[in-house]
Amino acid sequence: MRSIKLLFHLIRLQIRSQLQYPVSFILEVISGVIILGFYFVAFALTFSRFDNIGGWNLGEVAFVWGLAEFSFGTMDMFFSGFDYDAFGPMIRRGQFDQLLLRPANITLQVFGSRFVLRRLGKMIEGLAIFIYSLSLIQVDWTTLKLIYLPLLVISQVFFFGSLFIIGATTTFWTMERLEILNIFSYGGNEVMSYPMHIFPRPIRMLFTYIVPAILLSYYPAVYILGKTDPLGAPAIVSFLAPFVTAVMFWLAIRFWHFGIKNYQSSGS
Amino acid sequence: MKPIISVQDLSKDFKIYRNHQGYLGAFRNLFDRKFDLVHAVDGVSFDVQPGELVGYIGPNGAGKSTTIKMLTGLLVPTSGTLGVNGYLPWKQRKEYVRKIGAVFGQRTTLWWDLPLTDSFDLIKHIYDIPENIFQANFNHFREILELDPFLGTPVRSLSLGQRMRADLCAAFLHNPSLVFLDEPTIGLDVVAKQRIRDFIQFINQEMGTTILLTTHDISDVQKLCERVLIIDHGKILFDGKLATLLADFGGRRILSVEFAENYPEINLKDAEVVRRDGNQVVFSFERKTISASKLINRLSADYRIADLEVQNQPIEDTIRQIYEDQLLYNHPYDKKDPAS
Repeated sequence: MRSIKLLFHLIRLQIRSQLQYPVSFILEVISGVIILGFYFVAFALTFSRFDNIGGWNLGEVAFVWGLAEFSFGTMDMFFSGFDYDAFGPMIRRGQFDQLLLRPANITLQVFGSRFVLRRLGKMIEGLAIFIYSLSLIQVDWTTLKLIYLPLLVISQVFFFGSLFIIGATTTFWTMERLEILNIFSYGGNEVMSYPMHIFPRPIRMLFTYIVPAILLSYYPAVYILGKTDPLGAPAIVSFLAPFVTAVMFWLAIRFWHFGIKNYQSSGS
Repeated sequence: MKPIISVQDLSKDFKIYRNHQGYLGAFRNLFDRKFDLVHAVDGVSFDVQPGELVGYIGPNGAGKSTTIKMLTGLLVPTSGTLGVNGYLPWKQRKEYVRKIGAVFGQRTTLWWDLPLTDSFDLIKHIYDIPENIFQANFNHFREILELDPFLGTPVRSLSLGQRMRADLCAAFLHNPSLVFLDEPTIGLDVVAKQRIRDFIQFINQEMGTTILLTTHDISDVQKLCERVLIIDHGKILFDGKLATLLADFGGRRILSVEFAENYPEINLKDAEVVRRDGNQVVFSFERKTISASKLINRLSADYRIADLEVQNQPIEDTIRQIYEDQLLYNHPYDKKDPAS
């Protein structure tokens, strides 16, 4: 509980420090929205030459696209402490050791170590695409759908967040060799490979693209938009997202704790 | 008294992996890896009593940092026992670190982008420091360390000396009973070093905090620590008073002579020529073998001398000699020298 309070305190302080130059912050967010939005505009222009692709029209694709963008942006804001671009240097510079020297939950400290407010750009862009999609299509809303939609967003956030945590954890192993060199000569080695590479390629592909695309985007959209699935999967598949995410997040946290244990017994 | 740090036969081995090359090799690395074993810390034993200020020194790669990492709970030992403050550091991390402090000169414990006051405020929250204790300590430390001019500055914009002072302040705010200082004066100028030494001394003497100081700068140890531990190749080579060490090994003296004329060859029994620059010659000799006056007599009998000066060998040189010539190996020191 105290650690949760600390997490919010850390986030609040970082927001304050990132808002120190409000004009530049706002410009950064706006330029983020515009640049990211261009991808969608280019896609939509291409799409407009066809009526639909595989039975999906532009509005329906925008629905899926907007949700995923919004979720990923939200995830990237809250989980950016686990972003391997940030976490690798954090281990290398010994900042992770500093967190271990603080009497607070280590996972929440990593969450609080980095909070990137300008990811609001991606969230706004995702939300805009989502709202635009609703203007193109007629969704037959039911209570269940209205409950499922936020649950789906949370699932997507935590699913991608789990991947970030797993990616961060792998750096405990990829850093190991470099860090042992550091014992003998201070000054880190700046070279680091993309840590996910310790997993074989098919496994990476499965969890970074296939599972999220099928179970967290496609089938939930089939249900909410009332599409018929050409593969004829049972209806339950549309509701697997929260369960798949719960398992994935549990596994990620287990792996994370295992990584920390390994780091303390062999690394740094 | 019950020791605050108790270390027995502590060892830490590192595996340095030799990787297979190429794509297939990367896959093989997952299952089949060959490694070399490095004994970073090799059977170290020592006790530290509450209130002591102990210097922990040794050449690069001697095992200092690895020992500190085990003592602070960042690393799990390969073998041996250690108890600090009644805790097993790596097992009871959160309870243990609440009662200790640590400063690593190479890295900061503070939040990079936040103003210093915010960092201190966070520390107050993390350690649950009661307001009155926090205020008393903070006001006291900021005065000694002269923090006021940069309290509103983010850590990333501080100079090394300012950052170090801020880190020291942060490490003592929660009244830790034991603090590890790893190279607190590294890269600092003479004035900044002195300010930091004064603070360390103040904390140790006034607040009774036990301090284990790791340093490259032997003058830190000379000014602050009565007791010193020397480690090399993972083994403790000396545990006792610095004065004892210097009495045994610091016996070399330096004689600088300016001769009145240019002698092509100068021979002086019991002394060796360290450096020669025209008429200027620097000798070094052992205090135990010959006295300075005898040496000067011997010299003036054979040569005409314009000027001369006798000095003790600087302490840094003595320590370096101890490391380089491995003088402590096979030396009959009782490692349990009762320094406390």
